[in-house]
Amino acid sequence: MKKIFFILAFGFGLFAPMAMAQVQPGDTTYSVSLHVGYGHNLTYGSYANFDIDAYLPINKHFDMQASVRTSTANFYTAGVQLRPKFVLPVGELYLEDRLMMRWVNRDSFRDFVHAFSVGYKMQYVNVQVGMSNRIITPLPYTNRSEDEMILEPFDAVYRVEAFVRPQTSPWNISLCLSNMDNYQVERMWQPMFYLGGWYDINEHWRVRLSGKMKLAGMFHLNAHYYGAELRAGAEYRF
Amino acid sequence: MKKNIQICLGSLLLVLGSIFTACGPEARLDMVGMFAGTSPKIDERFEESKVYNDQHGFTTLQAPVEDYRVYVCTDTHVTKTQTRWTYFIDTYRHDPLCPVAVHLGDIIDAQNYFDEMYSAYQAVPLNPAKKDTLMAVAGNHDIYFKQWPEYIKYFKTCYYYFIVETPSGKKDLFVVYDSADGTVGSKQLQWLRETLEWADKQDFRHIVACTHTHFFKRDGSQGHTSNYTQEETYALLNLFTQHGVDMVWSGHDHSREITQVKDMTCIVVDSMKDEDKKPFYMLVTMGEKIDYEFVSVADIQK
Repeated sequence: MKKIFFILAFGFGLFAPMAMAQVQPGDTTYSVSLHVGYGHNLTYGSYANFDIDAYLPINKHFDMQASVRTSTANFYTAGVQLRPKFVLPVGELYLEDRLMMRWVNRDSFRDFVHAFSVGYKMQYVNVQVGMSNRIITPLPYTNRSEDEMILEPFDAVYRVEAFVRPQTSPWNISLCLSNMDNYQVERMWQPMFYLGGWYDINEHWRVRLSGKMKLAGMFHLNAHYYGAELRAGAEYRF
Repeated sequence: MKKNIQICLGSLLLVLGSIFTACGPEARLDMVGMFAGTSPKIDERFEESKVYNDQHGFTTLQAPVEDYRVYVCTDTHVTKTQTRWTYFIDTYRHDPLCPVAVHLGDIIDAQNYFDEMYSAYQAVPLNPAKKDTLMAVAGNHDIYFKQWPEYIKYFKTCYYYFIVETPSGKKDLFVVYDSADGTVGSKQLQWLRETLEWADKQDFRHIVACTHTHFFKRDGSQGHTSNYTQEETYALLNLFTQHGVDMVWSGHDHSREITQVKDMTCIVVDSMKDEDKKPFYMLVTMGEKIDYEFVSVADIQK
């Protein structure tokens, strides 16, 4: 039963947005970015991350993004986001389907998340809200693993991001509250705070710097520092 | 323009009023604590508790029989009424097979109720025919609103273990740890590692971990309460499964949930709050196997 659910969730996640979008040959800018990061949390201590992201805007109605993270803390993430977009008189409405696999090898668990959300993007603000489900599997994967899968069938995802300048600007600073990013989807009551910015060196190169803060127990009403990450990198736009 | 200013001022007053109501002396929820916890952080609570633990050591209790019973309850949220809390105490005290009961946190609901909780505990007559002990762990309701000094006054420490020894010399280990912030912190995590590594070298029949916060969010019963972070969820599950922990008992959710993780069973126990419509405690029989059942206390009303 769990296997069937897994296959259906994966299949729906992969193909539904493609069906919704009118895929045409792309005419917009592709980009690749590389980031390195330093992180600290109460469980892992200090660690470093290395991220690669590829942004693939197929056309003005559909784009994709693929992300990979490796970490010295011995966890690995691969994710893909598929986004049909609808340009409105003011702003842009989009749907986002996110599939993410996280191999937490250090602790012998694997975490698969599917999140489907609807977003609205304006010059100064991005808002996104949706739902997610998660399948947790103990590692190593064996014949027993299917019976050992733990399903968290319903959770919420959200993202509220504000920019100090229009998003088309050559430099910008943003503040964000969300329970997801390209490398992690947390449970709904575990928000994360982001502060970031970019600067366009020229039409091809953009540099980025961002920080992330995670508190534990916000909805225990007893919040304390849990972890933080600092991330810097460059993006090349073709 | 004037109307807009009036609307803005009215809204501001409403927000300020709500914050005052939510944070004032009669408030149930510590809204300040949502952004900055008002009790010491887990690593500071650990250090304070360590002083007590180093001085007093950990307890070994004697079970009256081989297959003894442990009464487990959680989330009593004692306020001005303590009906089910006192019923629970009276029940385990009169069970001749029970050497120990465990409370998994949120023993009180909010500020100023520790005295009521303790008075109610003391008011239940002791059973001269037997000796028993109540073990407790802090929940988030027990320590927010700067309540940690009061908690420690009554319960002395936030982390410990105790051993129950049967007449034939078999021993069960119960590891009790603090997760009232939604994290175990770095120092307590290290203590858990060391304790379980030590336990590997002993010959324990069973190992049980007891805490407040639960691991998973498998249904909608949880409401607006948080779990551990993902990182900590997997770290703790891996630690416990690697070191042969048989069961993890927790509360916080107010609704029962039983999850098998490898060979370990994670049980979220129902709440025992006076106002709840489906309150249960868990009755555990510690024998060669660990058997458990849930006992309704819905009939016990104020």
